[in-house]
Amino acid sequence: MSLAEPAALPRATSAAPRLHVLKRFTAGFTASLPAYLLLLPSLVFLALFTYGAMGRVLIDALYQRTTPKAPVRFIGLDNVSAVLADPAFTGVNNLIYAVGTAIPSIGLALLFALALSRTSAVTSALRAALFLPVLIPMVAASALFLFIFLPNVGLLDSYIGRLLPVLPNWLGDPDIALSAIMVITIWKNAGYHMLFFLAGLQAVPEDVMEAAHLDGAGPFQRLRYIILPELKPTFLFVTVIATLNAVTQVDHVFVLTQGGPSNSTNLVLFYIYQQAVEHYDVGKASAATLLTLAALMGLTALSFRTLADRESGP
Amino acid sequence: MLFPRRLMLGLAIAGTLAGALAFPALAGEGPTEIDLFFPVPVDGKLARDMGTLMKEFNETHPEVKATAVYTGSYDDTLIKTRAAIKAGKPPSAVIMSANFLLDMQIENELTNLDPLIAADGTTKEKFLGQFFPALQGNAVINRSVYGVPFHNSTPLLYINADQAKEAGLDPNKPPQTWAELTEWAKKLTKREGDKVMRWGIAIPCAYDYCGWMMETLTMSNGGRYYNEEFGGEVYYDTPSMLGALTWWNDLIFKHKVHAPGATPGPAVSTSFISGNAAMMMLSTGSLTYVRDNAKFSYKVAFIPRNVRNAVPIGGASLIIPPGLEADKQKAAWTLIKWMTSPEKSGWWSRATGYFAPNMAAYKTPDMVDFLNKNPDAKTAVEQLDVAKPWFATYKTVPVRKNLEDEVMLVLNGKKQPKDALTAAQKAADETLKPYNAETSLKLP
Repeated sequence: MSLAEPAALPRATSAAPRLHVLKRFTAGFTASLPAYLLLLPSLVFLALFTYGAMGRVLIDALYQRTTPKAPVRFIGLDNVSAVLADPAFTGVNNLIYAVGTAIPSIGLALLFALALSRTSAVTSALRAALFLPVLIPMVAASALFLFIFLPNVGLLDSYIGRLLPVLPNWLGDPDIALSAIMVITIWKNAGYHMLFFLAGLQAVPEDVMEAAHLDGAGPFQRLRYIILPELKPTFLFVTVIATLNAVTQVDHVFVLTQGGPSNSTNLVLFYIYQQAVEHYDVGKASAATLLTLAALMGLTALSFRTLADRESGP
Repeated sequence: MLFPRRLMLGLAIAGTLAGALAFPALAGEGPTEIDLFFPVPVDGKLARDMGTLMKEFNETHPEVKATAVYTGSYDDTLIKTRAAIKAGKPPSAVIMSANFLLDMQIENELTNLDPLIAADGTTKEKFLGQFFPALQGNAVINRSVYGVPFHNSTPLLYINADQAKEAGLDPNKPPQTWAELTEWAKKLTKREGDKVMRWGIAIPCAYDYCGWMMETLTMSNGGRYYNEEFGGEVYYDTPSMLGALTWWNDLIFKHKVHAPGATPGPAVSTSFISGNAAMMMLSTGSLTYVRDNAKFSYKVAFIPRNVRNAVPIGGASLIIPPGLEADKQKAAWTLIKWMTSPEKSGWWSRATGYFAPNMAAYKTPDMVDFLNKNPDAKTAVEQLDVAKPWFATYKTVPVRKNLEDEVMLVLNGKKQPKDALTAAQKAADETLKPYNAETSLKLP
C-alpha cells in the first residue's frame, strides 16, 4: 500500500458528479460527448487492466484444467467449494493475523502520536525514528529479520538465549511462526499509522481543549471525552488501512516462511499464489481470488458507508 | 570559432542518427543473444562464479552473446521459467533442478534434445556416456534426453573434527550406521544443566531441503520414496519411511541431540560453522562454503546407513524450453555443451563444491591437483556409486510439500510419525489423482 493512496480515498465517496453526468446524458448525448472522450483513455486502461482482469478471473474460476492433455472443463462452482474445503485456505490465519497486527499497531501508533504531538526538535527526531521502518521495503525488512530470527545464532537468540533452556525456533515452530511474522508487521506499520493520528490530533479544536482545561478536566478526562471522540474518523480510516494491509501484504511470508511450517503462516494471498504457480491450478487460484475480492469489497463498502455517514452527519 | 563547433555538433547528431538507423540492420548480423536462467540454491558465491563463466564463454564465442539471469531458489527458477514460457518469451536455457524435468515434460515445457544430439553426429548412448550413470535417471524421460547434468550433489555428513576429538571420537573413522551416528551425536551434545550448549547433529528441513533429506533417510533405510518409472506414485506410508521419520523424531525427542523444529539449510550451515552443531547432513554443494569459512578442521563422510548405503542425487541439469527460434536454440545448445565440457565442468565444481557430472573432468590436470589438495571433495564422487535418482513426479513441488508439511509437524512435536505419514500419503494421492486418472487408471 503506497503512501499516496489513502489521501484519495475519502474524496471518491461523494456520489454527486456521477448523478450529474447521468442527468446530462439523458439531456443530450452530444453535450456529454467531450466528457466521455476525456474519460476514454482512463476507461480503456481500466477496462484493460482492472475490469478485464477481474472478468478473466471470474471466467477462470468456473473452469478446471487438470493436466495439459486433458481438455478444459466447465465445472461451475466446484472450484469455489474445493477452495472452501481446503484446510490450507482457512480465513483463521488471516483473521488472527489481521486482528493481531491491527490492534497492537494502532494502539502503539496512538501512543506514539499522543506522546509526540507537540512539535519540537526532540519529537521531530523521534517521529522520524519511528517512521523509519515504513521507509524500508518489506522484502528488505524481512531479509533483516531472517537473520534476527535465525535459530541459535541469530540476534534474538544470542540475547534471549541466555535466559531460556531450549531456544524457540522462531520461524520453524508452527505455534510461533505466525506471531513472529506479526511482530514484523506491527514494527513496520505502527509508524505509518502514527502519521494519521498525528494529523488527526491537529484537528482537535483548540478552544474545546482550553474550555476543558478551565473546567478542571485532567489529562485522562481530556483524552477520554475530547481527544478520542474527535479521533473517531481517524480510527475508522486507520482500521480499514490496517485490515487491507493484513490481506494485501505477504512479502514477508514469501521471504521468511513460504507459508510454512505446515501452513501455519499461509495467508490468503500467498495461498492464491501457491495454487497458481506451484500447483498450476488456475481454476482454484481464481476461485480463491474471487472469495478474497468479495471479502475485501464487502469490507471496503462497509467502511466507506461508515465514513460517509460520518461525513454527512452533524 | 562558433561555427566549427556548431558544425561538429551537427555532425555528431547526424552521426548518431545514422548509427541509430543503421543499427537494426546490424543487429541481424550481430551475435545471437541468449538468456540463461540460473538459481543459487546453496551457500557461497555462485552468482559471481556464474558471471566469470559467462564472460569467458562470450569471449571465446563471438557469434553468441549469453547473459546469465539470476532467478532465486530452485523452486523460484521453475516458477519464473514457467511464467516466461507462458508469456511467450522463454529463456534460451535454464539450469533447472534435476527433479523438475519430469513434471515439465508432462506439461510440455521441455525441448527434446535427441535431434540436437543427432545433428552433432553422435548417439544418445555416447552423449549420455560422458556423465556418471547415477545422473542419467533424472535426465532421460521415455528414453529421450531432456536435460544435460550440469552440477550435481549428494548429501554428506559433515563432522567438526576438533569437537569429535575433544569428545574422544576418532574423526578418521566416521560413523557408518545410524546406531553409530546416534552414539556420536549423544557424545557430541554438550549440556549445562537443562540448557543445550551444542547440538550433536543438525539436519535441515525447509521446503525443498526437507523432502530431499527425507528421501536420503528413507533410501538409507532401504526405501524408494517414489516410483522411478512412473510419475503418479509416491511411497510415503511405508515401513522404510516410517523408520526414517521415527529416527529423526527420536534424535529430537528421545535422544535430545538435534534441535527441535524445522531448521532451514542456511541456519544449519551457520550453526555448524559457528560450532553450535557438531555434525550436520547437508549437500555437497555447501562444501566450498564450509571449506572457506570453517575455523576448525572438519571431515566429510557418507550418509550412514540403517539398511543399505544409498542417497539421492541433487543438483541441476541444463534444459532448453520449447518455442525458441532456431538460431537461439542452436546457440543455447552450444552454450550447454561448452558448460558441461570436462574443463568447465571441473572448474565449476572447484568453484562451488558440487561434483562435476562429466566423468572426464576428473582426469583433467587441474582437477587431479585439486583433489590431491582437497581430498574431502572426493567423498561425494565416491558416494555416487550408491546414488540413485532424485524423486520426480507429476507436480513434484506440491507432492513434496504434502510430505514436508507433515514432517515439520513431527519435528515440532505436534504429530506422531505414523499419523503424519498417513496424512502425507493421503494428501499426495489427492494431488496425483488427475494424472493417474489419465494414465494408470484410464482403462479401455
